Amino acid sequence: MALKVYADRMSQPSRAVLIFCKINGIDFEEIQVDVFKGQQFSPEYKAINPMHQVPAIVDGQLKLFESHAILIYLSCAFPVASHWYPSDPSKRAKIHSVLDWHHSYLRRGAGGLTFNSIMAPLNGFRSYPQVIIQAEEILLRSLSKLENFWLKDGGFLVGSSQPSIADISLACEVMQLELLSEKDYHRIMGPYKKVKKWIDDIRSATAPHFDEVHERLYKSQKVYRERMVTHSGKNKVRSKM
Amino acid sequence: MPFLCPDSSSFLFGLKRLADCSAINPMHQVPAIVDGRFKLFESHAILIYICSAFPGVANHWYPSDLSKRAKIHSVLDWHHSNLRRGSAGLVFNIVLAHRDSHHSYPQAVNQAEEILIRSLSKLENFWLKDGRFLVGSSQPSIADISLVCEIMQLELLSEMECNRILSPYKKVVNWIEDTKKATAPHFDEVHDFLFKAQKRIRERMTTEFRKNEMKSKL
Repeated sequence: MALKVYADRMSQPSRAVLIFCKINGIDFEEIQVDVFKGQQFSPEYKAINPMHQVPAIVDGQLKLFESHAILIYLSCAFPVASHWYPSDPSKRAKIHSVLDWHHSYLRRGAGGLTFNSIMAPLNGFRSYPQVIIQAEEILLRSLSKLENFWLKDGGFLVGSSQPSIADISLACEVMQLELLSEKDYHRIMGPYKKVKKWIDDIRSATAPHFDEVHERLYKSQKVYRERMVTHSGKNKVRSKM
Repeated sequence: MPFLCPDSSSFLFGLKRLADCSAINPMHQVPAIVDGRFKLFESHAILIYICSAFPGVANHWYPSDLSKRAKIHSVLDWHHSNLRRGSAGLVFNIVLAHRDSHHSYPQAVNQAEEILIRSLSKLENFWLKDGRFLVGSSQPSIADISLVCEIMQLELLSEMECNRILSPYKKVVNWIEDTKKATAPHFDEVHDFLFKAQKRIRERMTTEFRKNEMKSKL
């Protein structure tokens, strides 16, 4: 039975798993779980992932969720090039380190900001202004750490000359910021030259799958930006005074 | 396994940023390790590295079987945004923020407690449903040590709060005891510092409570 990947292409970690499978030629079936339609709460999906989140995979008897655990598992269970998840314990440790850092920093910042300022209000869910402010603070600190520490040696994360699973995971997170208004996107991302170049390098290293998997995000970006123009400032990110 | 442990008395509760620490961890957080020329931070990455780099570590801490290992990664990842966020958020906003004169938001306290209760419920009903230890194992792994140490932080709350929060979760309480026994005597020795802090914090909370009671009677 082929690998099954349960994903929503609006979800950053879902996209990371899809891109990884495609660039490595892993044979899989993609099963869409539409989060804004609440499909993650169906009894069928609960049997796969009782945390009601995407992505998840089923590989034979194994059911697995949490995208970093999935990416690591796929790197070991399928024949993929070693740069994605090197066997050297020190290189592997550095990848674990940035993947762990990601949870509480870049993901919390980017995910928190885009969900609360754009996706929640435009889909009829409640959002909290204080959370938006806090999320942007965390995001800016995280982008600064990416620019000045994680990418300080150039190339890909943790000084590598080739991409790893950490690059795909974090790049998909940064891509979520494309949902912001054009003005807010440039205001936030403008200072971070290395981060922007790194996104382009990952796009090239995983072409054509990176752009194909992000198509739905870009379609949503267009819809959200048109709706933002007609909404009165309610969903805008607070700008710095 | 021999290792050097620099004096940690000014770490964590002092929230001080020592100049030489940033050369080891530019994120200014603990823990971090230096192994020869190799520097590493983020505790899960450290635990995995130690399991892989040191030959004396028993296999159950970080099994070589891919599926078992994947389940351990899964709960370690879940931990960040759930148990850790809830427990650390609650302890910070109730205890440490007051101690260090940082502002603490009631909304943050409520939100942290909601996340914590949901996480404890998931531990009780999912992560511990199949065995004494996490992900159905009969022996502890690095995930058990990590998550139990997180729950131990709740000992900094008042005795009443700590019992109110934890007592509904019988499997969680048993699992903590099982993890302590499996790592005895080191678990208690390493937590000695926390229990001394608990005593000081609870005495201070009692004094403040009495002061506020007297003020409200005047």
